[in-house]
Amino acid sequence: MTAFEDLKSQWGNQNQSEPPVDGAKQILKQIASVRNKQRITNGVLAVTGSILIAFFFYVTAYKFQSVMIGLLLMIGALVFRIGLEYSSIRALNTMNVSASVESFKNEIMSYYKRRKKVHFILTPIIILVYCIGFVMLLPAFKESLSAGFYNYIIISGIITLFVLCLFMAREIKKELLVLKGLMD
Amino acid sequence: MVFKQGSKSTEVVMHTKQAHFENIYQSNYQKVIRVCRGYVNGNEALAKDLTQEVFIKVWQNLSSFREEASLSTWIYRITVNTCLLQFRKKKYLSDAEVFEHYVESPEESLPSKEEQLKKMYQCIQKLPKTNKAIILLELEGLPQKDIAEITGLSHEAIRVRIHRIKNNLTKCVQNDSI
Repeated sequence: MTAFEDLKSQWGNQNQSEPPVDGAKQILKQIASVRNKQRITNGVLAVTGSILIAFFFYVTAYKFQSVMIGLLLMIGALVFRIGLEYSSIRALNTMNVSASVESFKNEIMSYYKRRKKVHFILTPIIILVYCIGFVMLLPAFKESLSAGFYNYIIISGIITLFVLCLFMAREIKKELLVLKGLMD
Repeated sequence: MVFKQGSKSTEVVMHTKQAHFENIYQSNYQKVIRVCRGYVNGNEALAKDLTQEVFIKVWQNLSSFREEASLSTWIYRITVNTCLLQFRKKKYLSDAEVFEHYVESPEESLPSKEEQLKKMYQCIQKLPKTNKAIILLELEGLPQKDIAEITGLSHEAIRVRIHRIKNNLTKCVQNDSI
């Protein structure tokens, strides 16, 4: 017996894992629960969108041009980003997992290459548009809010942006690592 | 009435599909979990999670199975592809990193069967993704023709690669280098 054949026989003699009782039923339950979660996510997104639109009219933003443009830029950037993530998740879920390994690997690699373009081209533009919108709102905030609250908005805005950038950088690093792993 | 009949036949189709799935699950669980184990360094809990993901994909794609390939080949394709896809998740990534830095102590010159198996898992982790799939399928005892069909590579390419990976893997298990 060659050294590899010996390894192969050890591999074959490993402890066997018995399929869990009701394992198949548990999987079907899990699929149903994922579907429910997707419905909830869709609901939350629809409610968030409606609240943003309602807020726009509530503050009568359309009467003040700079406030209107500022709010539209912020909401637009946010909605666009959510749309991008949503379509990415859809693309992942609709990949043909029963294709041959090589063609599936190519499919994942082109997915991650598209993600790379999103991260390095679209995401900075989205952040910039969001920041421009925020800055355009500041004069209106200064006019109508107390100095303390105005400063709070500026500081918390900067911190939120910083934390968001850190979070996105970590996610981008992780995705690039996956792409590198697939390319080897 | 027509509606009632329609919903009843849908129910029957659903029950048949569920029974078919249950059958596939029971008869393929062992081989799926063994391949999954190879992707997560022998970690049983992670292998079980991956196996579950595989069978979710099997259920979702069951209606698209056309019997052009054998059921076994189809399931192996889904298994390897799901392992590739799930690898983006943090829990699978971090586990692979932990074992990448694993160093065996030099005094263990005659490792027991269990230690050798552990080392084998670690050596498999060091392989590129496609080679990992190829050797896991070879270890499962699949004919090279089937491995070629699963991976989408030519029979000749598989033959050459298997020969090379076998040598590298054996060397790695014996000397801890690949």
